[in-house]
Amino acid sequence: MESGIDLQGSAIQLLVDLGVPTPIAKVLWLPLPMALMLVVATVGVLIAVWLERKIAAAVQQRYGPEYAGPLGVLQPIADGLKLLFKEDIIPNLADPWLFTIGPAIVVIPVFLSYLIVPFGQNLVVTDLGIGAFLWISLSSITPIGLLMSGYASNNKYALIGGLRAAAQSISYEIPLALSVLAVIMMSNSLSTIDIVNQQANHGILGWNIWRQPVGFIIFWISALAETERLPFDLPEAEEELVAGYQTEYTGMKFALFYLGSYVNLVLSALLFSVFYLGGWSFPVPVDTLANWLGVSPALPWVQVLTASIGITMVLVKTYLLVFIAILLRWTTPRVRIDQLLNLGWKFLLPVALANLLITAALKLAFPVAFGG
Amino acid sequence: MLKFLKQVGDYAKESFQAAKYIGQGLSVTFDHMRRRPVTVQYPYEKVIPSERYRGRIHFEFDKCIACEVCVRVCPINLPVVDWEFNKPQKKKQLKHYSIDFGVCIFCGNCVEYCPTNCLSMTEEYELSAYDRHELNYDNVALGRLPEKVTLDPMVTPLREFAYLPKGVLDPHDLPKGAQRAGKRPEEILEEIEREKAAAAPSEDEG
Repeated sequence: MESGIDLQGSAIQLLVDLGVPTPIAKVLWLPLPMALMLVVATVGVLIAVWLERKIAAAVQQRYGPEYAGPLGVLQPIADGLKLLFKEDIIPNLADPWLFTIGPAIVVIPVFLSYLIVPFGQNLVVTDLGIGAFLWISLSSITPIGLLMSGYASNNKYALIGGLRAAAQSISYEIPLALSVLAVIMMSNSLSTIDIVNQQANHGILGWNIWRQPVGFIIFWISALAETERLPFDLPEAEEELVAGYQTEYTGMKFALFYLGSYVNLVLSALLFSVFYLGGWSFPVPVDTLANWLGVSPALPWVQVLTASIGITMVLVKTYLLVFIAILLRWTTPRVRIDQLLNLGWKFLLPVALANLLITAALKLAFPVAFGG
Repeated sequence: MLKFLKQVGDYAKESFQAAKYIGQGLSVTFDHMRRRPVTVQYPYEKVIPSERYRGRIHFEFDKCIACEVCVRVCPINLPVVDWEFNKPQKKKQLKHYSIDFGVCIFCGNCVEYCPTNCLSMTEEYELSAYDRHELNYDNVALGRLPEKVTLDPMVTPLREFAYLPKGVLDPHDLPKGAQRAGKRPEEILEEIEREKAAAAPSEDEG
């Protein structure tokens, strides 16, 4: 397996060559990928919001945003600016501290999870050995923030919304974790890079979706529930709860919730493509293609091409999943809270457990196909 | 044991059915995405109201005989008819007439029953105001003619679905003089006239 381009190594080498001591060169390099990832996450959200509005409009035979920029691409920016300039209101009887901290607790873990999202062999902020586990544990901080803001709003709708968010997140975390665990078991690693590499061998046929079809569906349902997308958007069910825990929020604090929900959606789609759709791998392995064309994969321009194909593949897979999520939003009606919990505890959990056990058995029986 | 297995089987079947129905729903929404939007982009485009459109009511002061039929047929007795008996003329003389469009439901009963046809419905539907009292139209406001959508240079007038040529679904960029499906009322009238003319001689003979 080629390691591909190593931006970190070459950048640090460049700085060292310029006469900067190695530790300082490393420190200088550190903030760059983080800032880049923040930008990527934010731009990803802008695209997701625009897609949501355009696709929703298309499904309902409307035009959607039209006047802000070509095809309304600047509409999410306009929305953001509007929220930025709105008055920041804290209700009289709300708890100002919890009310302010709540949105931050919701948003920060989601952005932190971008640490482990790989766009290529070395195109990741850090290749953590506990990557998938980090994401699962960070995503269970979010409901605390939701509960906090729902409770601090001193509003019955907000409180019910917050409680529902907590109940929903807790009950869907388990099948989510179990389905991810099956994938982890096959790749013998929690690192997102290793998970992708384990799928990279046979092109599209090597992707986990073929070996984990049940886990794939469970993960998708749980991810929709985690991100509170429409069949499971009970915490903010507008017909019953006004806007759930967001009811009392305006301005930037509301924008944080809004941003957080879309970052979470994009993040789930990204990790979904990493866990099940082979991450940055092309349907036909790029190395094989290069061999067919008779070029060495080690050539610099081939490596740049490979990296850009990888990034494109990740984004294509991610936005395909975002598209499906948006289409699902306008297709499926919202489930009731008892149906939601029934589905989580009585269907997804046993099926995820069975899936895990079967994966373990298959791994023992066919170590070749299931990553022994 | 068998019962349990049957339960499991039924449950699995139901799950597959649910998945199938969600798939069907997705295919419906997906299919809708390739259809053209039906939006009329309002301030720039406006639909031409049909000839039977029941919009703001027009009132002709001079035709009114202050009979108050409009008030009696109105579901909520809305029109205000202010008249005075003119002794020498032995006639009711109308002083003021008003209808509050903030309350009117545009049922058209007053128009239907007016004995002198002094009331009529217009195609005006843009009745927005900053104050609800502004919607209380007096006889002067009621006497104003509506602006025609087709004469406004700022607006692209769009035809309603029933007024499009046969097989056309999109009101944008119609060729000039494109006629709606079927015969126009005046054509039907002409046809009746012609039939009458054809039938008349034979009647004379008979």
